[in-house]
Amino acid sequence: MKFILNYIRKEEWSPYVAGILLGLVGIGAVWVSDSLLGASGAFENIAGMIGKAVAPAAFDTMYFNFIMPPGITYGVLLLVGVFFGGMIGAATSGTLLWGKKGAANSDAQWKRIFGPQVWKRWVLAFVGAIILEYAAGIAGGCTSGLAISGGMLLAPAAFLFIMGMFASGILTALIIYRKNY
Amino acid sequence: MATVVLPLFFGVFFGFALNKAGLTKYNKIVNVFRFTDLAVLKFMMTALVVAMIGLYALRSLGLLTFPNVPATYIVGNLVGGLIFGVGMALTGY
Repeated sequence: MKFILNYIRKEEWSPYVAGILLGLVGIGAVWVSDSLLGASGAFENIAGMIGKAVAPAAFDTMYFNFIMPPGITYGVLLLVGVFFGGMIGAATSGTLLWGKKGAANSDAQWKRIFGPQVWKRWVLAFVGAIILEYAAGIAGGCTSGLAISGGMLLAPAAFLFIMGMFASGILTALIIYRKNY
Repeated sequence: MATVVLPLFFGVFFGFALNKAGLTKYNKIVNVFRFTDLAVLKFMMTALVVAMIGLYALRSLGLLTFPNVPATYIVGNLVGGLIFGVGMALTGY
């Protein structure tokens, strides 16, 4: 019992242990609620809701009517849970930076490559997130929704997606890091 | 009630696992593309294997049916993945 409590307080788990936990959560989600774990769809649901309220004509498309219908879906609630789950994880290991100084840009490696400016981090995160969400829309899911959830059902789409993701990820990292790669 | 509590419940454990594996950090995500830290791959593949075995075993026992399997459209999945990788390496998502 004490061992388990100490392990929960550890900042960084063995990826295998955390992976087993995620695998069990994935099984549970399919078994109990007949749904897949996914993150990117939730943003599209929320974007659809905002869009339908602000500019109904522009959002009256096939995509927002049938493929990603707006509303508080399973994915949106899941994402709320993920947010708090991540915070609980950080709180149990004592690394929660909420409201602390330097929390907006705390990654040492990021600062070494791009510089210490907070605005840079925000701009890059915003631009990167646009790319991510657009790509997830094309592929039909993100790392969690397609690669992991699709992969565990042995969907070919998931493995095609993982191939593409690693090919361009490696290339992008090469370009960003150049001689530091 | 269950439709609200269940996703929140699974989400908390999902986020917890991501945080403890270190996947909420920029350096973990980008270092897998530099082959200096393969935690992301270890985490993803372990989750995949555990869930694959569990789900297929439960289905063979007739205890569950699969939800809609993500559709395969080769060009879309590949191109989406290619663009996704750029964002992933940039942001550390």
